[in-house]
Amino acid sequence: MADLVTFTIDGRQVQAAPRTLLITAAKQAGIEIPAFCYYDGFSLQAACRMCLVEIEKTPKLQVACTTPVTEGMVVRTDSPQVAAARKGMLELLLTNHPLDCPVCDKGGECELQDMVFRYGAGESRFVETKQHVDERQWSPVVFYDKPRCILCYRCVRVCDEGLGVGALGVGDRGSASEIIPNRGDHLECDECGACIDICPVGALTSGTYRYQTRPWEMDHVGTICTFCSNGCKTTLGVRNGEITRANNRDKSGVNGEFLCVKGRYGFDFNHHPERLTAPLVRVNGKLAPASWAQALATVGKKFAEVKQRGGKFGVIGSNHTTNEENYYLQNFARQALGTSNIDHRRTGDVATLIDALHGHAGALATTADLYTTPAALIIGSDLSQQHPFLAWQLRANFRHHQAKVFAITSGPIREDRYAAKTMRAAEGEELTAVESFREHLAQQKSLVILFGDSIKGDAVRKLVAFGDSLGIPVSYVPLVDYSNSRGASDMGVLPDLLPGYHGVREAGLEPGLAYDAILSATDLDALYVVQENPFAKTPLASTGAFVVVQDLFLTETAERADVVLPAASAYEKAGTVTNVCGEVQKLKAGAKTMGAKTDLEIMGLISKEMGVSIGIWKHDTVFAEVRKSVPGYNVALPVVETGGAAPTFPVNGRVPLEDRPDLISSDRNTLFLSGTLGRYSKMLTSVLEYPGKLYGQPVETELEMKEAQNT
Amino acid sequence: MPPARSHGRFPGFVTLLRYTGRMAKLGEVLDSAVAIARGMTVTFKEMLNPPITEEYPDAPPIFEERFRGAHVLERDENGLEKCVACFLCAAACPVQCIYIEAAENTDQVRISGGERYAQVYNIDYNRCIFCGYCVEACPTDAITHGHGFELASADTSALVMRKEDMLRPLGAA
Ligand code: SF4
Ligand code: SF4
Ligand code: SF4
Ligand code: SF4
Ligand code: SF4
Ligand code: FES
Repeated sequence: MADLVTFTIDGRQVQAAPRTLLITAAKQAGIEIPAFCYYDGFSLQAACRMCLVEIEKTPKLQVACTTPVTEGMVVRTDSPQVAAARKGMLELLLTNHPLDCPVCDKGGECELQDMVFRYGAGESRFVETKQHVDERQWSPVVFYDKPRCILCYRCVRVCDEGLGVGALGVGDRGSASEIIPNRGDHLECDECGACIDICPVGALTSGTYRYQTRPWEMDHVGTICTFCSNGCKTTLGVRNGEITRANNRDKSGVNGEFLCVKGRYGFDFNHHPERLTAPLVRVNGKLAPASWAQALATVGKKFAEVKQRGGKFGVIGSNHTTNEENYYLQNFARQALGTSNIDHRRTGDVATLIDALHGHAGALATTADLYTTPAALIIGSDLSQQHPFLAWQLRANFRHHQAKVFAITSGPIREDRYAAKTMRAAEGEELTAVESFREHLAQQKSLVILFGDSIKGDAVRKLVAFGDSLGIPVSYVPLVDYSNSRGASDMGVLPDLLPGYHGVREAGLEPGLAYDAILSATDLDALYVVQENPFAKTPLASTGAFVVVQDLFLTETAERADVVLPAASAYEKAGTVTNVCGEVQKLKAGAKTMGAKTDLEIMGLISKEMGVSIGIWKHDTVFAEVRKSVPGYNVALPVVETGGAAPTFPVNGRVPLEDRPDLISSDRNTLFLSGTLGRYSKMLTSVLEYPGKLYGQPVETELEMKEAQNT
Repeated sequence: MPPARSHGRFPGFVTLLRYTGRMAKLGEVLDSAVAIARGMTVTFKEMLNPPITEEYPDAPPIFEERFRGAHVLERDENGLEKCVACFLCAAACPVQCIYIEAAENTDQVRISGGERYAQVYNIDYNRCIFCGYCVEACPTDAITHGHGFELASADTSALVMRKEDMLRPLGAA
């Protein structure tokens, strides 16, 4: 590029794009400038003065984090003055710092420790007694230890700019300055813990990880969050087979370091005391513990018998199991059980969108697109509550690229604050309302439309027609609820569709019973439920049916079962999941629960008991088959294997689906809810508080209102 | 070859027999007795002196202060455990024989002086090489080498010491 500026740093001539900050330009040249308050992606602060450098012709040292490079600039980062400045800054930072590293949660991964180690100031000239302030608990999640705080404002900025919550601020002056929460002595916020993880020191600590262990004592396992459909990468800290924390400080994965409260703290369901660890078989009307061999034999025998007499099966798949398991499950249903009565709880209309998009190329947006798209339209979703990561992407896009965000929802949403245009419309009326945006939308270079469960069936086709009529490139995100809702649909856990949206008739089968019909069929002989809890809402009509349930807990459905098989959670197995944007990512096993088996293995073992062979139950073998046979899933293996997200585009001509919009409904989970799974997370249930409601007042708006009343 | 005879002032046994048999040269016999007694003087003298080597196991062994024996987990002046479960000893240990589980002190249950204490603290003496790195690493001087050394056991599982086995008893500073 011709417009690069050339400058000299530590005697080396390097080039950088104009207006690049010195700190970034130095990093690009492989020179580290220490920093606390500078943080990529957030507003500049220049508060810590760690980044002081010498610039020729400038009398005083300058902060590299706010100084842009200019042509001919001569910078030194290795001079004695700079070294002395760094040492001095550290000495000042440590004036009141307790240096209780042995008990501090940050010890071992503390930026202050590292800096002191590298740039000196191990000795202090201050002899005054350090001020002590007791540690405070702001919420079940967040604890604040004031003396450790170095006032870098990172927490304040991530909460305000990143999350759009703005629950933290700075109070007082001088050495008494401290971070204060929005409710004076406690926090009312998303409880996402982003402030805790971004804190360079141990000033903010989390309720789950506090004083549990040390970073070097854990195995760090990168896997995918098992709650909502956004598919955030999370790194589990595992000790003795138990998860002690989850974060994503290495910024790997689609989400960078973003995680919501469920991803960061919801993992504790995994070692909930009620986890099932042995199969249960109903004997004399009561569920009693049994051995795996016994339980599998019971299931195998019964299934084989029902199959032989031509009985009626029902199979209900999960929104949480892996693609491999879903693929295997529909094989199991269609081949081993010989039934088409297979479905899952549909939370968004993916199939209709895939059908409506036939002939469109690249019309499914990825999570990365949300950060780069010039414009986005949200329809019928409280994005910040239901899809926290997608909302984070759009906010970042607005901050960094001034993206235009439009929204049509039935209530106030957080996006209202920065959206170019928002509008309230009752559910089902959104498509009429969207016409009033037409002019604005048509002016955009391109558009991503995210739509919730109120757009289903014909409405999806109408929406695509509307998108087509705008005359700009439009891509879509069909919002679904759970970690692999999208995969369940793509893998053909549907009565009328095979994996990859092929009609069942292509394989010479007839469409089977859908979700509601399975539950309401009075003559059902056997029901097989994999990690799903249908009876929580609808009881089973067939009283005589033999019910087999695979789950982590004794849910309402499992309580009615004849055989309950303890299943492994997503944090305990390998495989792939597909997120809301159709990106395939890999799970890695971190934790272990004694006695539980993966759903894939259980299905394999049941089919073996039945004496039928539907292939090896190993996740990589099944994934190889998925890659081969499911259109759009022929993803690049190295991408998936190295923890990347591979986009899929399973559009394959018309989809011969039977329109059943009535079956589609989202659970409308908020930040603190996640279907049945969320109930078993102690942390999630303990933070269930304001503003955990959909279409609620955004926190800051309410605060502003209160403030307005007070003045 | 016949066995070599001994000559000089200490005649061999066979020679002695031959002489006594003849009841001759009695003086020589006495000479010999004296010579033996003289040769044994050091032995006899030391027999009556107190021993300078250790009498273990009949008497307790004596250690140099810095002897590195079985670990002792120390208490502070208030009787609280000094260990704050910082895991630094476990990190320093070259054979990874220290296992710790940390827990938080509360106002109701206060075990150590810091925010945190070791709920579980095990040292596996199957593996410990008594290098003392743990003692050196400890920021609170909580772990020290005691003088315990009778650690042999036929049962390896008995060699995993728990915190309770290592903790200095209350009052015994
Ligand atoms: S914040 Fe860092 S330097 Fe301060 S006590 Fe904790 S580990 Fe030590
Ligand atoms: S709490 Fe942490 S992130 Fe927030 S200002 Fe203090 S040191 Fe920085
Ligand atoms: S946004 Fe969704 S995927 Fe990401 S951490 Fe939260 S619940 Fe997990
Ligand atoms: S003495 Fe050495 S080997 Fe033994 S516990 Fe301490 S550090 Fe480990
Ligand atoms: S014995 Fe010392 S080094 Fe080991 S955990 Fe306890 S305080 Fe830390
Ligand atoms: S990084 Fe530049 S002042 Fe903090």
